[in-house]
Amino acid sequence: MINIDHVSKVYPNGSAGVRDISIHIEQGEFVFFVGSSGSGKSTLIKLLLKELDPTEGIITINNVVTNDLPREKIPYLRRSLGVVFQDFRLLPNKTVYENVAFAMQVIEAPSKQIRRNVPAVLSLVGLTKKSRNYPSQLSGGEQQRTALARAIVNNPPILICDEPTGNLDPGTAWDIMDLLEDINRRGTTIVMATHAKDIVDMMQKRVVTLRRGQVIRDIQKGGYGDEAEFN
Amino acid sequence: MKPSSIKYYFREGFSGLLKNRLMTVASMATVAACILIMSFSYCMVSNLQYMLSQLEDDIGIAAFMPSSATAEQVETVKAKIEAIEHVTDVEYVSPDAALEDLKQELDADDILAGLEGENNPLSNSFNISIDDINNQPPVLESLNAMKTAGELENIKDAHSETEVLVKVNTIITVLGVLVIAILVVISVVIIVNTIKISVFTRKTEINIMKYVGATDWFIRWPFIIEGVLIGLIGALIPMLIAWPAYAQSVNMIYEYFPIIQNMVTFRQSGEIFAILLPFSLVFGILLGVAGSVTSIRKHLKV
Repeated sequence: MINIDHVSKVYPNGSAGVRDISIHIEQGEFVFFVGSSGSGKSTLIKLLLKELDPTEGIITINNVVTNDLPREKIPYLRRSLGVVFQDFRLLPNKTVYENVAFAMQVIEAPSKQIRRNVPAVLSLVGLTKKSRNYPSQLSGGEQQRTALARAIVNNPPILICDEPTGNLDPGTAWDIMDLLEDINRRGTTIVMATHAKDIVDMMQKRVVTLRRGQVIRDIQKGGYGDEAEFN
Repeated sequence: MKPSSIKYYFREGFSGLLKNRLMTVASMATVAACILIMSFSYCMVSNLQYMLSQLEDDIGIAAFMPSSATAEQVETVKAKIEAIEHVTDVEYVSPDAALEDLKQELDADDILAGLEGENNPLSNSFNISIDDINNQPPVLESLNAMKTAGELENIKDAHSETEVLVKVNTIITVLGVLVIAILVVISVVIIVNTIKISVFTRKTEINIMKYVGATDWFIRWPFIIEGVLIGLIGALIPMLIAWPAYAQSVNMIYEYFPIIQNMVTFRQSGEIFAILLPFSLVFGILLGVAGSVTSIRKHLKV
């Protein structure tokens, strides 16, 4: 599904984002990328989204080598990747319903399908009653659930989450994790960058630990690991 | 491109105009101001050129035959002159007619009395009109050749006046083109900056669109439609002002300075705006589109 093969990213200023990283992720997996800030988590996420290109190595997503993907093909790669960010990134002047429908309009889905899928996915994340509200009228957890609904409404095979619980209180964070686990159980591959130790420990999923741009640990069912290791 | 998407583009384009009302008004005002100044320059240049061409029409060449010429010779020479390239009209002036003209011009019948008929010292002559003032030299050359051959005795042309007129005309044309070109550059710069600001406020929106897999064109279309609308309305406003204003000014000049009509006439407003209106609309639209496309280009690179 996702294959990261000896990938390095050196920024133009000379600092290395990631160094010689190799990770293979199978379909249906739930993988945590953990590490302190500056460990290379964000760089890795950006490389997967093709927001950045690796300086060395090969990234393959869905059997497509994304390194040399022409610019005009990038949108089609991104359609197979749902994305959730720490800061939600909702459109403030659109309602919950419109924010989710927007993701379908963008890929030119038929309006009939939009009218069918949006309410379905909103009920999945438990926001049916809030569908006419604007983001400013929602709590952080509700905003992140809206973002999650937007990320999965097109049924992408892969969901990439960059610190999705970073701005949420613990209770709300768990709501989001329950949803993610639910989505994962339906077959969606989930890659989640986080430094929420308690969440990683409780979930008992695959954990890839990064430090100074390198993978220092990759275990199938594990916890966050020893803090001391990161420094 | 699907119909539902086209509907989406138009809806977004229109709502973009309404949502960013301040920017919309600012952009439209910029386009309107530029086109208004441009229209003004065009009216000036166009009229100056028109007046010059009227003056040019009055400048012809006069050719005189030897006084001994027979009626037959007059006919041959007339035909010969008519055959010269660029000559549009040859008017024969008989000695009698020339004398009449002279009498009227001098308003002194008594001095010229007794010169009619046999005693007329004036010779047969021709008033020659040519198609363009710039073609005067070659025509003069041919006429001079006829003079050398003895068919003509004298040639009178408005050589120096012609040169001045041609020079003035060239200067006005160059200045007009220059002023309009400078205005075009200024308005493009201003419009690009205005739209840039409006795009900046929607940076997040474009960013999100990129993440959910929107193609570049899907993102561009609403902005292009917005640009077209800004340009179109921005061009229509100055036209609605300039057209009646021009017609009214011409009328007022004729009314208050009736004497001017004897010297020159202004171009009809219909004539001027038949060129200016389509040009302004197309220019406004291009301006809007160029502005929107260049200003979102940077944000598409995500």
